[in-house]
Amino acid sequence: MPKEMYDVIVIGTGAGGGMAIHTLCQAGAKVCALNGSRRLDPKKDFRNHRQPYDMKYRGFGSPKLRRESIGYMDNEYTEGIWEHDIVFTTAPGTEWTWRRCFAVGGKTNFWGRSSARFAEIDFRAATRDGYDVDWPISYEEIAPYYSRVERMIGVASTVQNRPSNPDGDYLPAMNFRCIDWILHSGGQKIGIPYLPDRIAQLTVPHAGHPGCHFCANCTEGCDVGAFFSTPWFFLPEAEKSGNLEIRTNVLAKNILTDENGRAAGVAYIDRKTKQEHEVYGKAVVVAASCVESARILLNSKSSHWPNGIANSSGQVGRNLCDHLYGTTARGYFPQLLGQPSFPDGVSASTIAWMPRWQNLENPKQEKFIRGYSVYPDGGCAGFPSYFDLIEGFGREYKREIKRRYPTPVSFYIQAPSQRSDSNYVDIDPVVKDMYGIPAARIHFEWDQNTLLMWEHGKQACEDLLHASGAEYLGAAAAPDIPGTSLHETGTLRMGHDPKKFVTNRFGQTHDVPNLYVCDASVFPNCTDKTTTISILAFSLRTSEYLIENLKRA
Amino acid sequence: MLARVAAVSQFPGFVRWAFGAEDANDPMKMGTVHEGQSPLSAQQKPHVYQPQFFTPTEYAMIDQLSELIIPADDTPGARDAGVSEFIDFMTASDTTLQPRFRDGLQLLDARATTKYGAVFMKLPEDKQTELLRAVAYKSTSDTEGRKFFLLVREYTVMGYYTSRIGLEQLDYPGLKLYAQSPACPHEGDPEHKHLPPPRY
Repeated sequence: MPKEMYDVIVIGTGAGGGMAIHTLCQAGAKVCALNGSRRLDPKKDFRNHRQPYDMKYRGFGSPKLRRESIGYMDNEYTEGIWEHDIVFTTAPGTEWTWRRCFAVGGKTNFWGRSSARFAEIDFRAATRDGYDVDWPISYEEIAPYYSRVERMIGVASTVQNRPSNPDGDYLPAMNFRCIDWILHSGGQKIGIPYLPDRIAQLTVPHAGHPGCHFCANCTEGCDVGAFFSTPWFFLPEAEKSGNLEIRTNVLAKNILTDENGRAAGVAYIDRKTKQEHEVYGKAVVVAASCVESARILLNSKSSHWPNGIANSSGQVGRNLCDHLYGTTARGYFPQLLGQPSFPDGVSASTIAWMPRWQNLENPKQEKFIRGYSVYPDGGCAGFPSYFDLIEGFGREYKREIKRRYPTPVSFYIQAPSQRSDSNYVDIDPVVKDMYGIPAARIHFEWDQNTLLMWEHGKQACEDLLHASGAEYLGAAAAPDIPGTSLHETGTLRMGHDPKKFVTNRFGQTHDVPNLYVCDASVFPNCTDKTTTISILAFSLRTSEYLIENLKRA
Repeated sequence: MLARVAAVSQFPGFVRWAFGAEDANDPMKMGTVHEGQSPLSAQQKPHVYQPQFFTPTEYAMIDQLSELIIPADDTPGARDAGVSEFIDFMTASDTTLQPRFRDGLQLLDARATTKYGAVFMKLPEDKQTELLRAVAYKSTSDTEGRKFFLLVREYTVMGYYTSRIGLEQLDYPGLKLYAQSPACPHEGDPEHKHLPPPRY
């Protein structure tokens, strides 16, 4: 029987894979997409419109869920969606928390939606401060892809003219809440920018998708598709083209190679039967997310590729970066005490942010290089989590909870780690997952530069609270555990030199011309911005490059 | 839908709160939505609640403690919101929680007997309040007592402010539908220095 041959096999259906699938199918390529878990049914799986009292455990989750939860997003509303079965290991001394969504659409089902473009200051950071390498492409080159992505997915913001934050094609911005105006005023006094975030949330209907109804539970998934996710935006169109087959509940095990060492397809395990299967294509796109993509390449050993496919440089899995997350300050606004509740915490969004303001004019102005951004949070939330800050009980206690309801404020830092030889992913020599696939092993710790940003951020946020007339209540004792942000980058970096980089400037592996990478693992470094919009822009560019190559072949 | 019904039928049910209607999860089925309208249907009120973990005496004590912590005043209190049902259900489903509550209740009874010669529930409310006051504050030397107080208070707050009554008392603005992203209503006062006097 002749082998069934697709044009392209795409591993992963999240931001990178979803964009690749969409672009390839629209261009007429026959695509087989492999996805690690099931399809979600928005009507059943997204419980975001339920009040806590409509949940069995009031949204707190069963004891088992609370014990095993891998973070706030893995809760009673999303139970059964986040991946718990596929193990990974950590090297001694490494702490790593890792929420993986293997459902179709991946993490785009639940992402934070902040969508700032990277800037020339990010791509040329090494030239500015002498550390590590520049990106192999310029902002000018990627800017048109950002514009196209913004038009596809809908991003709300304003024009801001900041050197670290190129402006894009935006929908009307989210409105400022009370806490935003207060912090904005405080920021003006001490020179900290406080601006509308770039947020992929449809403030108006856009591209056939309904406008947001601002119900507040976006992190539990959107049941109407009013923010970008691949199951709402890309996959239906791709399926309509007739060029897409999605195989669900399958785990990519390794890339198959032909007699010349080129990619021939993918071997995968069916999670239901535990049987191994193969699927063949003229090209393979890896978009399984940073760590998983590296794991797949490292597990693809053959006589041609004894250290893993496309790894002649030895760089596959190296240069793992992440965003340091953590609460840099919390407090409350006495000026709002006793005020009636305002519908101000309801979009569960990064309505505003404090975009990088450090080292802009002078790259070595601070004790650290590069810069970080901060997201504020606060206002009338679903639960009065400040209850334990108030002493006592009884009528006064109840009144104080009510009085404080509009007042809480806190800050969350997003600080990029810098590449180091000691932060990387390899394959655990012993541990395999339940399907017999060798597990990824993570080696990671925060570098000094990132920890200096954390210290700087704590001071800046405390200063901002004081300047805004707030009471300061302290900061978290330590930053969050690495991995919390879900913004891993850098295991398959792009660069010109095949000896030093895994992929070229188009995300094509140097070693294997028909093997492409469409996720954040190609990013040479981590910036102060979130990764998704850049994954989309780079995946779009790589996919179109792939199509040209297919046509030529 | 059938799966959901089956799950609910196995569930003991609560007097004061229950699962919302299936449609609560589906804005498309809600018909015309007006600004600020809650997508939820009224709560059902099933049969009398049978404690799943606590003995009747313990359960009465939990009920009384929750009401002392969040009493009914000009708005409903913990008892109205069925907080004791919530605490019993959470405790029944979590074995690590069970000794903490049971031992704590015994401890409180012991404190009551030492101080007033009778168990907690035999005392008038002002004495019960005195006993709670002795363990409620950071300044107390009764570390064990305070630990239990904080546990009961935490679960009372959890139960109360996730009930419909509690969320209405806060005037929780989420899970409603808005036509536009809600904006600060205090135009011309960015620092919020000239707000009307506190209402609460």
